[in-house]
Amino acid sequence: MTQYLLQISLAGLAQGSLYALTALGLVVIYNASTVVNFAHGAMGMAATYVAYVLISQLHVPVPLAFVGAIAAAFILGAVVQALLLERLNGAPILTQVVVTLGLFMFLEGVLGLAFGYNPRPMAPPIAIAPVTVAGLVLRPQDIVQLALLVALGVALAALFGATKLGLGMRAITENTYAARLMGIPVGRVLGTAWGLGVLLAAVAAILAAPTTSVTPNMMDTIVVYGFIAAILGGFGSLVGAVVGGLILGVIVNMIDAFLAPELAMSIVFGLLVLVLYVRPDGLFGRKAVQKV
Amino acid sequence: MLEARGVTVRFGGLVAVDRLDLEVPDTGIFALVGPNGAGKTTLINALSRVCSIASGSVRVNGTDVLELLPHQVVSAGVARSFQRAELFPTLTVLENLLVGLHSEMTTGLEGALMTPSTRRQEKAARVRAERLLRELNLWELRDFSPADLPYGHQKLLDVARALISEPKLLLLDEPFAGLTEAETPRLLACIAGAGRRCAVLMIEHHFELLEGIAERVTVMNFGRKIAEGSPSGVRRDPEVLRCYLGTGRHGQAETAAC
Amino acid sequence: MPRYAVTVPVVIIAAVLPLVLQLIGERQVYWLFVVSEFFVFAIVAISLDLLMGRTGQISLGHSGFVAVGAYTAAILNARFGVDLLGGAFAGGSLAAIASLFLGVPATRLRGHYLGIVTLGFGIAVDQIALKWDALTGGDQGLHLHRPTLLGLDVGTPVLMYYVALIALIVATLLVWSLTRTRLGRAFAAVKDSEIAAAAMGVPVASTKVVAFVCSAFLAGAAGGIYAFLAGFVAPEDFGIDSSLLFFAMVVIGGMGSIPGAIGGAIIVDAIKNAAATVSGLSLAILGGMIVLVVLFFPGGLKALLRRHAAKRTTLDRTRNATVPLDA
Repeated sequence: MTQYLLQISLAGLAQGSLYALTALGLVVIYNASTVVNFAHGAMGMAATYVAYVLISQLHVPVPLAFVGAIAAAFILGAVVQALLLERLNGAPILTQVVVTLGLFMFLEGVLGLAFGYNPRPMAPPIAIAPVTVAGLVLRPQDIVQLALLVALGVALAALFGATKLGLGMRAITENTYAARLMGIPVGRVLGTAWGLGVLLAAVAAILAAPTTSVTPNMMDTIVVYGFIAAILGGFGSLVGAVVGGLILGVIVNMIDAFLAPELAMSIVFGLLVLVLYVRPDGLFGRKAVQKV
Repeated sequence: MLEARGVTVRFGGLVAVDRLDLEVPDTGIFALVGPNGAGKTTLINALSRVCSIASGSVRVNGTDVLELLPHQVVSAGVARSFQRAELFPTLTVLENLLVGLHSEMTTGLEGALMTPSTRRQEKAARVRAERLLRELNLWELRDFSPADLPYGHQKLLDVARALISEPKLLLLDEPFAGLTEAETPRLLACIAGAGRRCAVLMIEHHFELLEGIAERVTVMNFGRKIAEGSPSGVRRDPEVLRCYLGTGRHGQAETAAC
Repeated sequence: MPRYAVTVPVVIIAAVLPLVLQLIGERQVYWLFVVSEFFVFAIVAISLDLLMGRTGQISLGHSGFVAVGAYTAAILNARFGVDLLGGAFAGGSLAAIASLFLGVPATRLRGHYLGIVTLGFGIAVDQIALKWDALTGGDQGLHLHRPTLLGLDVGTPVLMYYVALIALIVATLLVWSLTRTRLGRAFAAVKDSEIAAAAMGVPVASTKVVAFVCSAFLAGAAGGIYAFLAGFVAPEDFGIDSSLLFFAMVVIGGMGSIPGAIGGAIIVDAIKNAAATVSGLSLAILGGMIVLVVLFFPGGLKALLRRHAAKRTTLDRTRNATVPLDA
C-alpha cells in the first residue's frame, strides 16, 4: 500500500509540475501587470501547435522545434502585451481581464478552424522506457518535467531577485507611474514579463502534449488547475505557485486513484472554496494591501 | 466632537503619524497643514478608518471610532472627501449624492419591486440632493457623469457628497487643490457654511484661504504636531518657518503659497 | 422605463411576432423556439450584466447557475409536478444559495478570484450533473411534463413564447428598478471606487456578495424557464462554452446597460446559430469581437448606437445649463 501511495504521489508530483509551470507563468504576468491572463492556456496551446507544425509538417528536428515553439510563445506574449494590454494602460483591471478572455476564445476558435478539434498525436520527446528504482516505476518524462520545473523556478528566482529586470518589475508593480518617471522602460519590462509568462505556459503545454494530444482545448483542464494552484499559493508568490501546483497534482492523482476521476475538478474546486474560507490569502499568500 | 489621543500609524517600518493628539470642538473649521509626506492624508485616512491605527484612541462625539468598520464610520457622523475626488463615474451627479445618503436609507432588494416605502425614501433623498445641488449651482448638471465635469466641479461634488449626510465631523483632503480661482469662492462659501453646522477638519496649504475661515491650524511634520494656533500666529512660528524653508522643493512651493 | 420611443415598438414587435410567423407559416415552431430561447438567454445576459457591468465582478460560470436552476425545475417537475412558476422560483433560489457559498469567500479579496471560482463552479456543476444520474438522468438527461403555469396549460410553442417574453420583461423591470434605487447605486459605487463607497457607508464585501446572489438568482430562474421551454435538460446544454457565450453577450452589448445586454444577446445568439455547423467559427468570431470591442469601442453596442443620440442630448443640456461647463 505504501508503495502504491508513493507511486501515485510521484505521478502526482509529475502531473503537478505542469500545473506549477502554468501557475508560475500566471504569477509572473500577474506580478508585473496585475492582470490575470485568462488566455494563458490558449497561448501555451498555440505554441504547441507551432511545435506540432514544425515537427510533423516541416520535419524540423524535435529539439529545434521545441526551441522554436518556446521562442514563438515568448514573442506571442510580448506582442499581446504590446498590442492589447499596452493600449488598455490605465483602464480598469476588469477591462484588461476581459480582453484576455476574448483572446482565449479567439485563439481556441482560430486553431479549431485551422486544425479541427480531432486530437493530433505528439510523440514524447524522450523515448526511453520507464526504469524501476526500489520498486517505484520512474518515467523519464516525469523526471524531465520535475527537473525542468526546478531549473526554470531557480532561473526565475535568480532573474527577479538579482537583475535589473526583476527590480524594474517590482518597481512597476509598486507604482507604474513612478517607475516610468524613474526611467524604467515600463513597456519593455512588461513585455518581457508577458513573454516569460507565456513561455512557461508553452513549456507546460508541450510537456503535456504527449498525454493530452494536440487539440485546441488541450490546456483547458491544466490551466484551470494552474489558476487554482496560483490561488493556493497566494497569487503573487513564485514559491507558492510551485508548491501549490505540486500539492494539487498529488491531490488530483489521489482523487483519480481512490475517489472518482470524473469528479476530480469538482472535488478540487470544493477544496479551493474551503481553503478560501479559512485562508483567504491562499496557503502561502501575504495579506493583500489596498492602496488609497 | 473629535478627540484623538496618541494616534500612531505605521506602514511597515515607517511611522507616518507619530503619537498625535488632536481635539476639535463641535463646530468651526480646523486646518491641517504641513509639507508633503507629513502624514496629513494618513491622519484623515486613519480617522475615517481607511487605514488602521497602530496605537492611540479616536472618539467622535463619544463613539470609539476604532471599534467601527470603514463603512460604519459615516453612521457615527464622520464623512470625508478625497484628495483626487473619488467620484462614481458610472452614476450621474445626482446619484453620486444619493450614495452619500446610503447609510440613512434602508431600501434593499425590495427596491427591485419599487415598493411604496422605496418610492417614499427615494423621493425624500432626491429632494435633499436637489436642495444641495441647487445651493451649489450644480443642479443643471445633475444627469451628467461626474467624469464629464471640469475638475473643479468634481471637487465640489466630492465635498457635497460628504456633506449631504449632514455629518458631525467633516474631513476634507485638500478640497481646493486643482481649483481655478474662479471656482474657489463657491466651495469656500460651501465649507464656511458647513463650519457653522459641524466640525470641519481640512487639509489645506494656502494660509490666505485659511485666515478668513479657520479657527485653528495644526501644523504637522514627519508625522508629528509641531505647532498649533490661529492661522496668522502659526505662520510666524519659528518652528513652522524652519520646517517649510528647510525641506527643499516642497517647502519652497508651500512658502510661496503662503 | 424611459426612452419609450424605443422600448414600446420593440415590445409590440415581440408581441405580434408569433402572428407574423403564423402568416408566413414556414417552420413556425422552430422560429418560435429560437426566439423564445433567445428571451431566456437575454435574461441570463441581464443577470450577468448586473454582476459584471454594474458591480464590476466577473463570472465565468454563469451557465452553472443556469444549470442549477434548470435541473432544480426539471427534477421538481418530473417528481412532484411543480409548475413553471414554482420551478423557476425554486431554480433561482437554489442558484442563489449556491452563489452565496461561492461569493462569500471569493469576493472578499481580489476581484479575479471570483472569475476563477465561478469557472471552477461551472465545470463542477457539469461534472456532478453527469455523475449523479439517479437525480439528473446523467448524460441521458431529464424530461419534463407538459408545462403548466398557475393551473393553466402553457404547453404550446406560442404560449411558451409569451411566457418567455413576459419573463424577460419582468426581469428587465426588476433589474432596472434595482439599479435605480439604493442597492443598485451601491453596486455601481463599489465598482467605481471601493474606498469612496465604504466612506459613504456601503459595506463593500457584502454588497459584492449581494450582487452576486441577485445575479445567480436571475440566472437560475432563467434556467428553470429554459427547462420548461426545452422540455428536456441535459449536461451539454450548460457547459463552459455557454458561459462564454453569456460573457460575450455582456461585453459586446456594452457593460452596465440592460438594452446593451439584450442587444448583445441578439448578436451573440445570431452568430452562434449561424456559425453552429463549423466548429470553432463562432468562438473565433466572438473572441475577436470581444477584443475589438474592448480596444476600439469601449461601451460596446450600447455606446455605438447611442453615440449619435448622445451627442444631441449633451448639446441640448449644455445649452440649457445655466452653469458654464468651463467655469
